[in-house]
Amino acid sequence: MSLRTTALVAGVIGVLLLAAGLIAESQRPPRDVTASASVDTAVVVYEAEMIAFAGDSRIGVSGDGVIVAVTARPVDAEAWLAEHSAARVSGLPSWESLSTEALDPVAPSTSPSPSPSTSASASPEPEEEPSPSASPSAGAEEAAAADAVDILAATSQDHWRADWRGEGRLSIKASDVPPGETLVIVSEDGSPLTDTDLALTRDVDDGWITPLIWWGAFLTAVGVVALVLRFIDLRPAQARGEEWMAKRQRAGDDEADRSPGTRRSRRAKGEHLPDASLEDEPPSPTAPSPTAPADDHPGEERP
Amino acid sequence: MRRLMTTGAVAVAGAAVLTGCVAEVPAPVTSAPPMTEAAALLEPQSTQIIDETLAELAAADRAGDADLLSARVGGDAKTLREIEYTLAEAEDGAEPVAIPSTMQAVYVSGADIWPRTLVSVTEQASEDVTPVVLLWVQDSIDAEYQLRGWAHMIPGATLPAMPGTSSGAAQLEMTTDTLDPTPEAVLTDYAELLRQGEGSDLAASFGADSYRERLFAARETLTEAAEDSDGEYRDAVSADLVGSYVMGTADGGALVFTPLTITSSFTVEDATVSIPDEDEPLLEGELDDTVTHEYLDMIVMYLPGPDVDALPAVVAAEHTLINVSDS
Repeated sequence: MSLRTTALVAGVIGVLLLAAGLIAESQRPPRDVTASASVDTAVVVYEAEMIAFAGDSRIGVSGDGVIVAVTARPVDAEAWLAEHSAARVSGLPSWESLSTEALDPVAPSTSPSPSPSTSASASPEPEEEPSPSASPSAGAEEAAAADAVDILAATSQDHWRADWRGEGRLSIKASDVPPGETLVIVSEDGSPLTDTDLALTRDVDDGWITPLIWWGAFLTAVGVVALVLRFIDLRPAQARGEEWMAKRQRAGDDEADRSPGTRRSRRAKGEHLPDASLEDEPPSPTAPSPTAPADDHPGEERP
Repeated sequence: MRRLMTTGAVAVAGAAVLTGCVAEVPAPVTSAPPMTEAAALLEPQSTQIIDETLAELAAADRAGDADLLSARVGGDAKTLREIEYTLAEAEDGAEPVAIPSTMQAVYVSGADIWPRTLVSVTEQASEDVTPVVLLWVQDSIDAEYQLRGWAHMIPGATLPAMPGTSSGAAQLEMTTDTLDPTPEAVLTDYAELLRQGEGSDLAASFGADSYRERLFAARETLTEAAEDSDGEYRDAVSADLVGSYVMGTADGGALVFTPLTITSSFTVEDATVSIPDEDEPLLEGELDDTVTHEYLDMIVMYLPGPDVDALPAVVAAEHTLINVSDS
C-alpha cells in the first residue's frame, strides 16, 4: 500500500471520526439532572437509606401552602407513619424519575379530633325552634376547617429532631439530614403535596468527544491533501529536483581539484598541518596525525 | 446500497457510543448509616420538654389549679400537685414542693419501644433540701413526655453514671433477666423490708437510706402512742410494680422508679384521735377513734451492675400524704 493510499484511508477514517464526534457533541447529555415523581399524599418520606443514596443532592417537595420537613429516628418515624398515609420515595429507577411506594396507616389514628368538643350539660329548656340541620355552606366550611388540621401538631412532636419550613416548595440538601435519620415532609394543613424531586449530578463520560473531533479533523485533512495530490502530476518537478541534486554533487567534487591551496586539498595530499598552540601553556599532547588510506578516496590522486 | 450500509453503520456506531456516555444509575443504598446519636431524645428535645413542663407547672402553681396540668404533667405528679394546692389553700398551708428550673443531669432513654422515660436531676435549691429527681414518661408515639413523679435525693446518695445521647439508656422490664436478681424481685424484697421493719433479715440486702429509717421511726412512735391509749397502729406497704420504670445504667445496673402506697391506721380506745392542723384539708369525714393516713410515695432505687461491689440502695424518695380519713 502506497503512502498516498494510506493517507486516503486515514482521510476516510477521519471523516467518520469527525462525524461521530460532532454528533456526540451535539447530543452531549447534561451532567445535572432532576429525577422527580408525582405524589398525592400530605406526607412524603425519605428513609435513611435514600438519604444516604442522595448524598449531597438536594431533595425538593412541592405543594400548596406551608411545607414542613422534620427528621426522626427511623423507629419513631415508622411508628408515626403507621397512623398516616404517606408516599415513600424508594429509589431511582432512571435518571429522570423517582420510584415511590404508598404507605397506608396500619392502625387507626389516635390523634385528637379537631372538631370542638360538645358540652355534656343539657340545656334546662329546649329551644323553641330547634334547627333541624346546618346549612350546606356552613357544613362545608366546618369540614374544610376540620380537614385543615396541623398534621404534626395533632400528636406529640417530642420525637422530631431537625426541621425545615417552606412555602409552596421546600428544598433540603440531603447531607444536612443527620445520618441514619428518616426525613418526613408534610403539608402543614394536610393538603396533598404535588411532587417530589431529587437534583442529581451524574458522571458523563464525554472526555473523549473533543479529542475525537480533533483527530477526525486531522485525519480528514491528511486525506484531503492526499486526495488533492492524486490529481496533480509531480513527476516533472521531482525530476528537476533530482537533477539539481546531482548537479550540486558534481560541483562539490570539481571544486576540490580547482582549489589546490585549500586545507581540504592539502589534507587530501597528506601535508602536515601545524598545530596551533598558546603561549604560557604546556604543550598539549600531540594527537597522531590522521593518515587517509589510499583506498578511502579512490577518486583522488595520491601525493 | 453501499452508501446506505455505510450510513447505517455510522448511525449504529454513533448510538452505541452515545449510550455509553452516561453512567449507569447508582446502585441503591441498602443499609442505613448508623446514627451518631441514637438516644430517643437529644439535648434540645429534652430541654424543650423540661422547659415546657416547668412552664406548665409554674402556670398551675400561680393559679393553684391542677386542671392546668394537662399536657406535660400527669399521673401521680398531677395527683401530688393537686394535693399540694389543697394544702396551700389553707391558712398557713405549706407551699407546693419547689422544683428548681436548672438541671445538673438529664438521662434519656435509648428504647425503640414505649413507654419511654426521661429523667433529670435538678440543682440543689438550697442547703436545706437535696436535689430533685424528676421522671417523665412517654406512653406512645402520639403522647407527650409527661412528668409523672419526683423524689428528693437521699442525703449522701449518689446517682450512678448513665449512658449519654449516643446510645441512651436501656429501657428495661421489671422482669428483665439481664439483672440478677430482677428489679421486680429487688423491689418486692424492699417492700417486704418496709413491712417487716428494721429487724428484718432483708435489711442486710440493701444499703442504708433515710427513707426507711424515717418510716420505721414514725411507725415506732405511732405504735407506742397507740399502745399507750390501748389502741393499735397498723400500716400496709404496697409497691406498684406495674407502674414502675427501669432504666439501665452505664455499669450494667439499673435505676428503678417505683411508686409506693402506704396506708396507716391509728386506733385508740375510748378517745378521739386528732391530726395536725396542716393535714386538716385532706381529712375526709369526722375523726373519732380511728384515723387512716394514705401516702403516695416514689422511690428511686439503684441496682448496681454485676461488677460493682455495692448493695441495692434507695437514692431518692418522696413521701407525700394524700388522704386522711376517719376509718
